[in-house]
Amino acid sequence: MEDPRSQTLLNELPEPAPTTELRLTEVPLREVVELVRIDLPSDELEPLLERGVLPGCLLCPLLYSPAGDPIVRVDGSLLALRRELAGCLCVRRGVLPVH
Amino acid sequence: MSTTAPAGIEPAASRVSGNSFKPEDPANQLLVALIGPPNSGKTTLFNKLTGLRQKVANYPGVTVEKHIGTVRLTDRRDARLIDLPGVSGFSARSADERITRDVLEGRTEGLGVPDAVVLVVDATRLETQLLLVEPIMELGLPTLLVLNVADELEARNGRLDDEVLGQQFGVQTTRTNARSGRGVDAVRDFIASVGDSGSPDRLVPRSLELRNVTRRSSLPLIDVFAARRRIVQKAVAAARYSAAGPSHLTERLDSIFLHRVLGPLCFIVLAVLVFQAIFTLAVPLMDGIELVIAGSGEWLAARLPASWFRDLLIDGVWAGVGSVLVFLPQILILFLFLGILEDSGYMARAAVIADRMMYRVGLQGRAFLPLLSAYACAVPAILSARTVADERDRFATMFVAPFMTCSARLPVYALLIAAFIPEKQILGPVLGTRAATLLGLYLLGAVAAVSTAFLLKRTLLRGKRSGFVMELPPYRIPSLRTLGLRLVDRSRIFLRRAGRIILTVAIVLWVLMQFPRVGGEPPPIDDSALGRTGQLIEPAIAPLGFNWKIGVGLVSSLAAREVIVGTLGTIYGVEDTDETSIQLQAALKRDLDLGGAVALLVFFVFALQCMSTVAVMRRETAGWKWPALQFSYMLALAYVGAFIANRLI
Repeated sequence: MEDPRSQTLLNELPEPAPTTELRLTEVPLREVVELVRIDLPSDELEPLLERGVLPGCLLCPLLYSPAGDPIVRVDGSLLALRRELAGCLCVRRGVLPVH
Repeated sequence: MSTTAPAGIEPAASRVSGNSFKPEDPANQLLVALIGPPNSGKTTLFNKLTGLRQKVANYPGVTVEKHIGTVRLTDRRDARLIDLPGVSGFSARSADERITRDVLEGRTEGLGVPDAVVLVVDATRLETQLLLVEPIMELGLPTLLVLNVADELEARNGRLDDEVLGQQFGVQTTRTNARSGRGVDAVRDFIASVGDSGSPDRLVPRSLELRNVTRRSSLPLIDVFAARRRIVQKAVAAARYSAAGPSHLTERLDSIFLHRVLGPLCFIVLAVLVFQAIFTLAVPLMDGIELVIAGSGEWLAARLPASWFRDLLIDGVWAGVGSVLVFLPQILILFLFLGILEDSGYMARAAVIADRMMYRVGLQGRAFLPLLSAYACAVPAILSARTVADERDRFATMFVAPFMTCSARLPVYALLIAAFIPEKQILGPVLGTRAATLLGLYLLGAVAAVSTAFLLKRTLLRGKRSGFVMELPPYRIPSLRTLGLRLVDRSRIFLRRAGRIILTVAIVLWVLMQFPRVGGEPPPIDDSALGRTGQLIEPAIAPLGFNWKIGVGLVSSLAAREVIVGTLGTIYGVEDTDETSIQLQAALKRDLDLGGAVALLVFFVFALQCMSTVAVMRRETAGWKWPALQFSYMLALAYVGAFIANRLI
């Protein structure tokens, strides 16, 4: 039924409408989205949290690397994420107008 | 707790007090820790404050050791400043982060607890970087928050009231641009003020412990960070912070360098240009050096009376050391290129381009940066593997780093290629046969590294694949001064090695070639002590196409790879005493055919002929097992590879 890993996850924000929630890898380039949840076991979270990727932060995928991994803007810095990892980031659309 | 805990609770007053300040005794000096997230400019600031020249570059994880320098304060007092590896948090997953934590907690032997902290953050990435403030404040030390590149924040339409931000955290703040040196004096003043004030908390015995979020798991990790971020958000809101806009230059360049097609293409074009430059641009410089060495040798030979000393000096030392010195321009061109890559911020992009391959191998993308730096030298590369958090991945990275073509191989490659590969154009003037051969040797080394890592991650160092998060620094124009200083430092290292190792080897070899005397004269070279010893090992290397002279070169190159060039220079110098100039290439052709030359090149691609690498591996893996395994594996690969090459060609 429920993903056993979700025990370790945090839903810091009120559950958004399901239609607006998607994976970071599905977000069109240059659209700003808000991070809702990270679907990763807690022992793999730290590298993301330390770099400011935690629920509530704003993410903006800027481009894809030659291998198809997203480069994401978070608080003024650029982060390269493996696409497997980016697929674990659940985000919410409609936070800010696209720019 | 750690056994060194007493150092942590040593009363601060016993070491430092405002009145009894004794500049001559380091133990009495103020100890200030420089800390901050990776690539925020700590080492640049450290160099500005201390006048030292620790390596700086534009990617995260350059500093992996602590460095201590002296800051000259006003009225002739000094303080000690420790530059620490960058950290994003204090759970110390990687070895470099542990160094930082140990220093801050006062567990590092001989240091004690710091008296103050200078926290350097990059103002263009303020919110994330400030996540570090709260754990630092828990130390209760006088803290200066340095807002580095705050001028860039404003240039990118950001805004911040520093004073309010400082009040929010209860720290002093200052703005700097560590690269230009702006605002650095304010940091010096802060350190001086800590020395002046007999602030009460420094008189109280204390022990420090950083909050280790994974060790104290009362709260889920994510809550700890969420709480930290709430504090930061409240503070920056009060300070009317508005974030820097995107860096258009960086985004524009990334759309080229990380483009699906253009990105890898740029990488290849850059590499080809450098390899071509190593052969074409360096030639006039090398000819110049060769002329000076040959000319000075002749000049000396003509002025010294005929004696054993003249023979030793001219045939042994001049020929041996001189034949290596010729390669300095090629090495400098390589380092200039690497320097531009590192300082511009391109290196991190190269790591992103290569990350998919690293993923297939089973290594973290993080491991790519140490491997790239191994193109200069494997020793710092093995040290920088400390930034790789997973222990298995770190060991695999260290194990394969010596396969990457280090600069010490360059003289050997350049000599053999120039002697045996005729120059023909392949792609017009852009790529010739010699540059292509060199490129091929570099590729062969990289393939060996990748396949070995693949093998290790499936056998001895099996582990799960980890995620990859890598910060891409903004592009910056490399500073000419930094690049220039690096080339000066590199020349110094190269000349020191030539002056020590190669000089010693040249003298020893020369002496071995003088005995046993035949009628008071040196013997024919094959009958000399060196020749006889060499002939003992000849059967082992004959299948590779090498004679005893090459064998002696191989044995001497165990100390360091480029020594083989000096060794051959000395052997041929003694053999052809009537030749005053260095005709190393011509002499080599007598002893090697094309098959043997290619076999020798292949041998150097694979073999671990470097005592410094073995020593640093022993230190970093705390034992002989890994260096022994690495040495034997690489030697076996070198022997088999050279054997096959000799048979095929």
